[in-house]
Amino acid sequence: MRPAFTVALFALAWLAVSGSFTIPNLLLGLVAGGLSLALIRDHIRPDGRRVRPLKLLSLVLLFIKELALSAWKVAVLVASPKMVLKPGIFAFPLTVDRDFEITLLANLITLTPGTLSVDVSVDRKVLYVHALDCSDPVGARRDIAGGFEKKILEAFR
Amino acid sequence: MLDLVLAVIVAVMLVAGGVFTFLAALGIVRLPDVYTRMHAASKAGTVGSGLMLFAAGIHSLDAAIFTRALAGFVFFVLTAPIAAHLIARAAHEAGYRLSRHTVLDEMRDARERSNKKR
Amino acid sequence: MGAETVISAAATFALFLMCAAFFLTAYRVVKGPTLPDRIVALDMLVAIAIGFIAVLAIRTGFNLYIDIAIALGLVGFLATVAFARFVLRQGMEADEPAAEGENPGRRGGRQRKAAKARRRR
Repeated sequence: MRPAFTVALFALAWLAVSGSFTIPNLLLGLVAGGLSLALIRDHIRPDGRRVRPLKLLSLVLLFIKELALSAWKVAVLVASPKMVLKPGIFAFPLTVDRDFEITLLANLITLTPGTLSVDVSVDRKVLYVHALDCSDPVGARRDIAGGFEKKILEAFR
Repeated sequence: MLDLVLAVIVAVMLVAGGVFTFLAALGIVRLPDVYTRMHAASKAGTVGSGLMLFAAGIHSLDAAIFTRALAGFVFFVLTAPIAAHLIARAAHEAGYRLSRHTVLDEMRDARERSNKKR
Repeated sequence: MGAETVISAAATFALFLMCAAFFLTAYRVVKGPTLPDRIVALDMLVAIAIGFIAVLAIRTGFNLYIDIAIALGLVGFLATVAFARFVLRQGMEADEPAAEGENPGRRGGRQRKAAKARRRR
């Protein structure tokens, strides 16, 4: 993304959050956006990342659906008088390799039904996932690879 | 009329948020070990307080307040998994055991393998 | 039935539920048995407090409360991160020895567990 575009986006967000659409406030938003971008400039490397808005939107929708489903599942599990638990940590081999994508995938996994990402191996090839129901790790791996990982690859490659 | 519809929406969100929060707390008490408790806290807890914030944003009928509530919700959704991941990783690294129901721990296996290699 | 009545009833109900949730979580903070358990419970307490503040914002119509809730979320997240670093640095030594019985450590844990299982039988 171009820096100017990002700053404009920041300024828009500032306008929306502060709730007063005036010229001085817009200027303040632009300055604040530019300053915050300059602060983190060294930490973001442009690596030719393309963002596909439609795919990104479908990722967000999938995420909201899974979040609601996951909260529901945990709630039902906890409310049932006899909890059936088979917890365990399984290893998930990563296809995505950039830090940003791994972070996103780990966050999404944590907020999906019954799974919680615990750690990434040092070589960034394996993600360790704790699952409430670990009786079928092969199926769980297939679900993540076919669901979120595929969507992330579609949205950012 | 519109008033009533909005009120019902807000009321439903409030009740749902309260129920989720309560069940998350119940999970924290009932589940057997720290890793499974984290599931309850990071999912049901986030959704619970997020719904409350959303309800407050809708109730205010003010675009700025609503955006702020939305920003808060997004912030919680982003940070809750990070917090859970950090605690889980720290606990596992420090050697806290998983509960005796646990069927699989490939992370410990991997660490033991790498220790042997060294 | 007016709009105000509906919201007021729902808010009261939500406050009641969250009160119960608060006590349950506080029980976990006191009981432990391990340090990470307490950290998770404290994190949850912050989430419940945010819910409380949001409901209060609705009841009183004082919208500034939402900003307070967001600030509390920020502080709570930082506290959790700091606690996690602490656990990572200190390891299990930071835990009081009383926790060992409930959640056995690496050394000697197996024997203790076996003894516990025998006692149960």
